[in-house]
Amino acid sequence: MLVSDVMTRQVVAIGPDTPIRDVQALMEQRNIRHFPILESRAAPGQPDALVGIVSDRDVRLVGADHPRAPKGVRAADAVSKLMVRQVVTAHPGDPIEETAKTMRTRKIGAMPVMDEGRLVGIVTATDLLDALVTMSGVRQAASRLEVEVPNRPGALAELLGLVADRRVNVVSVLTTRGDDETVTFVLRVATADGHGLARYLREAGVNVSWPPDKRAGP
Amino acid sequence: MSAGPYAFVFDPELARFQLAPDHPFKPVRYELARTLLLAAGALDPAEVVAPAAIGDDDLRTVHDERYVAVVRAASAPATRPSDPELQRHGLATADNPVFDRMHELVRGVVAATVTAVDLVATGRALRAASLAGGLHHALRDRASGFCVYNDLAVAIRRAVDRHGLRVAYVDVDAHHGDGVQWLFYDEPRVLTVSLHESGRYLFPGTGFTYETGNGAGRGTAVNMPLEPFTDDDSFAESFDAVVPRALRRFAPDLIVAQAGADMHHRDPLADLALTLRGMRHAYARLVELADELTGGRLVLTGGGGYDAYRTVPRAWAWAWAALAGRELPAAVPPAWREEWGPRLGVELPARFDDEPPEPSPRRDQVASRNRSVAERLMAQLEEIWQEAPVA
Repeated sequence: MLVSDVMTRQVVAIGPDTPIRDVQALMEQRNIRHFPILESRAAPGQPDALVGIVSDRDVRLVGADHPRAPKGVRAADAVSKLMVRQVVTAHPGDPIEETAKTMRTRKIGAMPVMDEGRLVGIVTATDLLDALVTMSGVRQAASRLEVEVPNRPGALAELLGLVADRRVNVVSVLTTRGDDETVTFVLRVATADGHGLARYLREAGVNVSWPPDKRAGP
Repeated sequence: MSAGPYAFVFDPELARFQLAPDHPFKPVRYELARTLLLAAGALDPAEVVAPAAIGDDDLRTVHDERYVAVVRAASAPATRPSDPELQRHGLATADNPVFDRMHELVRGVVAATVTAVDLVATGRALRAASLAGGLHHALRDRASGFCVYNDLAVAIRRAVDRHGLRVAYVDVDAHHGDGVQWLFYDEPRVLTVSLHESGRYLFPGTGFTYETGNGAGRGTAVNMPLEPFTDDDSFAESFDAVVPRALRRFAPDLIVAQAGADMHHRDPLADLALTLRGMRHAYARLVELADELTGGRLVLTGGGGYDAYRTVPRAWAWAWAALAGRELPAAVPPAWREEWGPRLGVELPARFDDEPPEPSPRRDQVASRNRSVAERLMAQLEEIWQEAPVA
């Protein structure tokens, strides 16, 4: 899944001269936490330049009696006095797991998405979390199986082959942990009879740790 | 029409079909429950009511038109759509294979539950059971978890739109009642309450406490996920902590209960550890709540239940007994056991009660976890209800 799949395309951007108090009002009204700051360029036909970003936390601390409040900045000042100028951006084609990692290491909550110098969207930590939830398959009705397989080429393919034998569709596969010898996969499979599938896998010699082994009914 | 205040809606045809050979969902359960109740003297043959037919229009009050057309086409070999087309709608899968006359038969299931609701809504019966019903996983345009059409949703839609009733739906199947929940997620006149094995462990993987309804329906979806190995006492405690408060707050005109029988410890598809005692607690409470809140009006359907021969008929016999205020004898009638045991190839139980399983070593942990989930659920709901008072 890519950034372009999850980003917000209707970005509310502001100019560097916008007074901070207007930004505060806009954040409240629109319920937005991050504003990219765009400056128009002299040359016609050129896209506006991204010159900064400001977050709700930066803005809220202005004028507050707080050790981290920016010094010498007042609500009447232009937002350019406050904005972060080194903007960490994403590209629409970036994979979301890489984007999530960047947000964590840079400790930021949102990234403007730039394509050939033009602002095309914004992606937030919430968007990424939603995307990861979707990737883990929990939005589609499914049973969850925890399966331990040998850590060698082809082991997952063999496992999925057994699932396919039962005409069961795989909704998602997650790797939870592994050591040198084994890998544990969490399979979400589109069947209400997860126990039936687990029984079938166990009979084929697969180590299934969830659901528990249960004697079949009549 | 029903002879007294209680109606047992039944169509023998709905007990005869099979989704596929060896499929875990066994329609014969309805016939087993009916014959068991008759043999035990707890059902009067005059109380057995045939469903009134419904049309595809009725299905379309809940289901997508295209989906109904696909199910219909899939029901005869000559018109069967391609597998990819069917699979887009959850059909031609291990759970929902296509079978001859599928559309007609499952529409018959819907008709049975609609009939039960109509009887109760119009006062021709005080309470009614539709044990073939309970297909709570079916979605607007998709079959899921053995369910093709959502009889509960069609019947509830009709209770709201045609009869003008506020409906409280209570689901005690081991699986989350996802289809009914999503179909009424924005609907303020329908409260959905589901108790189920947590979606963290069991199909369909939803039914978490944070699913509370949306828009005008905010606060009208309630989910109590139970830990695997939950036993009778912890289930009863969880039920009592959640269901009465939610229903009293909502003040329904009608209760529709989905009484899937797969919370039982012998059920091969789920991981809860109830016995019939815990399940009976729910049936009795539902009747009490109906007497308290809806002038007695209650419609009860079947649902899951995959220990189909030994457990489900007795569970549903208890459900009917609660609904109609009947006693059951201690012993299962020998004639019934002798009639069905050999045909089904199983030794049927001799008593209506059963023995609890070995207590789980995690019993106290399970109970304490359920208790804490219920407490947090109710605190969260109280907060939502204060913000958005139920209309």
